[in-house]
Amino acid sequence: MRPFEFIKPDSEASAIELLGKLSPNVRILAGGTDYLVDLKHTADVPKTVMDISRLPELKGIDEVDDGLRIGAGVTHTEIMQNPLIKKYAPAMIHAAHTIGAVQTRNLGTIGGNLVTCVPSMDSGPTLVALDAEVNIVGKDGTRRISLTDLFVGPRKTSLKSNELLTEIIIPKRSLGKPANFYKFGLRKGQALALVNAASSLWIKGGCFKDLRISIGAVAPVVIRCLKAEKYLEGKKIDEKLVKEAGNIAVTEAKPIDDFRASQSYRNDLIAVLVTRTINAAIDLADKD
Amino acid sequence: MDVELIINGEEKTASIPPETTLLKLLREEFYLTGAKTGCDVGDCGACTVLVDGEAVNSCLMLAGQLQGRSVETIEGLANLEDFHPLQKNFEDLGSLQCGFCGPGMILSAKQLLEENPEPTKQEIQDAIAGNLCRCTGYTKIVEAVADAAKEMREEP
Amino acid sequence: MVDKVKVKERESTLEELREVNDDLRLPSVPEKVSFPIDVVTPEARTQTPAVGQRASRPDGRMHGLGQTKYIDDMSFPGMIYAKIKRAGVAKARIKKIDLSEAEKMPGVMATLIGSEIPVNSFGPSYQDQPIIADKLIYHAGDPVAAVAATTEQLAADALEKIKIEYEQLEPIFDPIEAMKESAPEVHPGQGNIYSSKIIQKGDVDKGFKDSYRTYENTFSTQMVEHVPMEPHASIAEWDANGRVIIHSSLGRITLGRADIARTLDMPINRIRVVATVVGGNFGGKNEITTEPILALLSRKTGRPVKGIYTREDEFMSSTTRHPFIMDYKTGVSEEGKIISRKVRLVCDGGAYCSWSETTLGKACILSAGPYNIENLYVEAYAVYTNKTMTGAMRGFGAPQVCFAYESHMDDIARDLDIDPLQIRRINAFHEGSASPTGQVLQSVVVKDSLDVAADRFGWEEWQK
Repeated sequence: MRPFEFIKPDSEASAIELLGKLSPNVRILAGGTDYLVDLKHTADVPKTVMDISRLPELKGIDEVDDGLRIGAGVTHTEIMQNPLIKKYAPAMIHAAHTIGAVQTRNLGTIGGNLVTCVPSMDSGPTLVALDAEVNIVGKDGTRRISLTDLFVGPRKTSLKSNELLTEIIIPKRSLGKPANFYKFGLRKGQALALVNAASSLWIKGGCFKDLRISIGAVAPVVIRCLKAEKYLEGKKIDEKLVKEAGNIAVTEAKPIDDFRASQSYRNDLIAVLVTRTINAAIDLADKD
Repeated sequence: MDVELIINGEEKTASIPPETTLLKLLREEFYLTGAKTGCDVGDCGACTVLVDGEAVNSCLMLAGQLQGRSVETIEGLANLEDFHPLQKNFEDLGSLQCGFCGPGMILSAKQLLEENPEPTKQEIQDAIAGNLCRCTGYTKIVEAVADAAKEMREEP
Repeated sequence: MVDKVKVKERESTLEELREVNDDLRLPSVPEKVSFPIDVVTPEARTQTPAVGQRASRPDGRMHGLGQTKYIDDMSFPGMIYAKIKRAGVAKARIKKIDLSEAEKMPGVMATLIGSEIPVNSFGPSYQDQPIIADKLIYHAGDPVAAVAATTEQLAADALEKIKIEYEQLEPIFDPIEAMKESAPEVHPGQGNIYSSKIIQKGDVDKGFKDSYRTYENTFSTQMVEHVPMEPHASIAEWDANGRVIIHSSLGRITLGRADIARTLDMPINRIRVVATVVGGNFGGKNEITTEPILALLSRKTGRPVKGIYTREDEFMSSTTRHPFIMDYKTGVSEEGKIISRKVRLVCDGGAYCSWSETTLGKACILSAGPYNIENLYVEAYAVYTNKTMTGAMRGFGAPQVCFAYESHMDDIARDLDIDPLQIRRINAFHEGSASPTGQVLQSVVVKDSLDVAADRFGWEEWQK
C-alpha cells in the first residue's frame, strides 16, 4: 500500500470533528474487507485513513422508542448472534450468513456494507424490505433518511464527505414482520450474489398487506420492486399471483451481462428468488 | 507509528508505517511466517489469524487497528508438552498436503471449536468456507476437525 | 528483513539522543515457537504393511505448526524485492521503453529489460517464449521490464513510472480463426499451427457407411488456472565467484536449472537451484518464470533478490490448462457397438508452446476413449493465439477429451435407448485390446471396474 496517515478517534464526536476538519482528504475505515482491497490496488490513496471500527457509539443493537437500533459498526457476526435480531428480524441473520465467510463476517460491518454500496450487497435487500432508515451525522447535526435514499449508484451514496453513517433503524412497524432473504451465488461461500432478494409482508384477512419486495445485484443499486408490490397488495394469497409477481419484478430490474452470469439467467433468477422469498414470508406469517 | 499488542500471550510493540497490514506486521516485524500471503485480498484465508478469539484475514487489517488487542497465530498453538489437538489430527489424517492453507485452516477451525465443541459436518464446512485448499480436498480436513473436536470433548 | 523506508528524518534533541533505550540492547531474534521436544511418530507412519492403511505425510507436522518455510518465508541479509511490469496489450511492437523515471525513484536499485538477457528465449519443446518481451508482445501477461527495489511497494510504484510506447498490432484470440491462412500470425513467419498429429486406423469412411447410425457433436472446454495457494516465488543470489543460487518454488528443478543456464548463457555447474516445499504445483510450476530475471537483478545489485508473483501475475502470466475444441463423429451398430470414429481436436495453446506438444499427443491417444474401435481417425492441432499461454496441468489433455468422449457416449446411448453403462461395457477395452496407436494392453480391468463401481454406486437403483 502507498503511504497514508492513520488516525483512530476514540469517540463518535471526535470522529465527526476530525471528519469535518480533514474532509475531503480523509477516508473512513470500518471493517476494511472492501476498502483495504481498494487501498492496495489504487494509486489514489487518501492523505488520512480514519479507523472507526472500534468506536463504542457505533456498536450495539438496542430496542429504542422508534424501533430497533443497529450501530453502523456492528459486524455481520454480531448480527448473526444477536438475540434482538433473532427476535425481531431473523431474515437479517440469514442475509448476514451469506456474506463472504467467517473471516469476512468477523471484520465486515453492516454500515460498511451499506456505505460501500455495491449493487450486490447482501445487507441491502432485507433492510429495504423492512423499511429501514439510517442516521447520518455531520458537523451540522443528525439527519435521518430512508435507506433507499442512501443508495445513489454503484459505489455511490448520498453521504457527504464530512458525514458518517452511525445507525440503522428498523422502524417499530417492521419489527417481527415476516420476511425472508435469498441469495444466489456461484458458490455457497466467498461468492458475490448473482441475484439476491428479500420480501416482507403481513397477512390480514387472507390478503397481502404492506408487502415489500427488494432485489439486489440486478440494478445500479438495491431496488424495491414497486410494481410487483402493487400487483399483490390487498389481494388474496394465491400461488399463481405470487409467481406472476416474480415475473413483474423481472421487468423492474436491469441486470448486467457479465462473466458471472448472463442477463437472461439473472432474469430467470429474479423471478424464482422473488417468488421464493414471498412464499417463505407467507409461511412465516400468521394466517388470520 | 507505534502499536502495542499481545501476540500469542506476550505483550509486544512495533514501530511501523501506518500502511502496514497485520499480515506484514506478523511476518516481517515478528518473523511469524505461519500466516501466509495467498491472495492479499481476503479471499483465500491463508493469512487467517485470531484477533480477540475471532478468525480474521490478517491481510485486511491495518496494524494500527490492533492497538491493545490480542492476536493468536499458528505459532502459539503448540507448547513444549503437546500439540494442539487440531494440529495432531491434521497430521495424523494427512489433511495437509502442500500445507500452505494449513495454518489458516487450523485457526478457523480453532475458533469454531471454541464456540461450538460439537459441530456438525455442515457447521465445519461453514467455518472453513473462507479457507481455500487446492491439494488435499476438504474431506480429510473436515474429518480432522471433527476428530479433534471429539478428542477435545473427551479430554478437555 | 525489516521492510521499512524512512520517509522523513526525525528531528531529535540532544537529550533524546543521549537517552539510552535498553530495549535496543535486547537481541533481535525471531519469535519463539513452541512445539513438543519429545517427538512422537504418528501411528500411521510406523505401521506395516502400509497398504490399506491411512497415509500421513512426514512434512504434515511442520505444516500444521506453521513451521514449513516456503520461499516467501525466507529472507537473507540485504535482500531486495523485484516486481515485473506486464504488457497489458495482447499484441504489439515495442517502440520505446523509458526507464529513467523509475530508475530515479528512491529505493530503486536496478531495472532490467529483455535486451539485457543473454539468451532471451525458453520453453520445453520450442524455445518460443521470451523471459522479458523485447521486441514483440505476444499476450497481455508478457513481462516487459523488471524493477528491483528495497521494498515490494517501492518496486510496484516504480513499475508505474516505466513508460512504454507500443505500436498496436491486430491480435487473434479464436483458435479456429487462427488456423485460417488469412489469420494474423502470433509469431511472425511461423504459422499459427505449431504442432499437429494424426492417428489413423482402419477406414473411417467405410465404417460410417456400414454404421446403423452416425452422431456428430462439438465439445469445448475452457482455460483453467492452477491457482496454487502459494504464488510462484524465487530468491536469487549472485555471488562473487560468478555463481548463482536460486531458491525457487519450481517443481522440476533439474529442467529449470538447464533453462536458467541456457538463458543466462552460463555453464550449468555455476547454477545451484535450491528447491523447497512447494505450496501447490499441479503442473503450473514446472517451468522457469522469473528466475533468470531475479538472477540478473541480483548480479546488477550484488544483493539477494526476491520475486513473488501477485495473484494478478499468477492469473495473467502463469500457464493454464489448454482449452480444447473437439469435433466428434461416431458411427455405431444397432446394438451400440462403435464401428467408426472421427475426431478433430483443436488445442488453443495461447501465446507459447510450453507443454502443448506433450498435451496434444496425450489428448490424441486418449481421444477415442477406452473403447475398441476398428476404424479411427484422429487429427489434432495446437494453435497459437494471443492469450495467456497454456502448459502442463494435471492430466495433460486427458480431462478435456474424457469430457468429450463420455458426453458423446451418453448422447449415443440416450438416442439408441441403451443403458449408458451397457454401451460402455459393449465397447470397453478388454485384455489384449490394442490402443489407438497399436499398443497391446495388459491387465485391463475396465469392465470389472465399471461393474464394481456400478454395484457400489447403486446404478440399478439409481436408474429407476
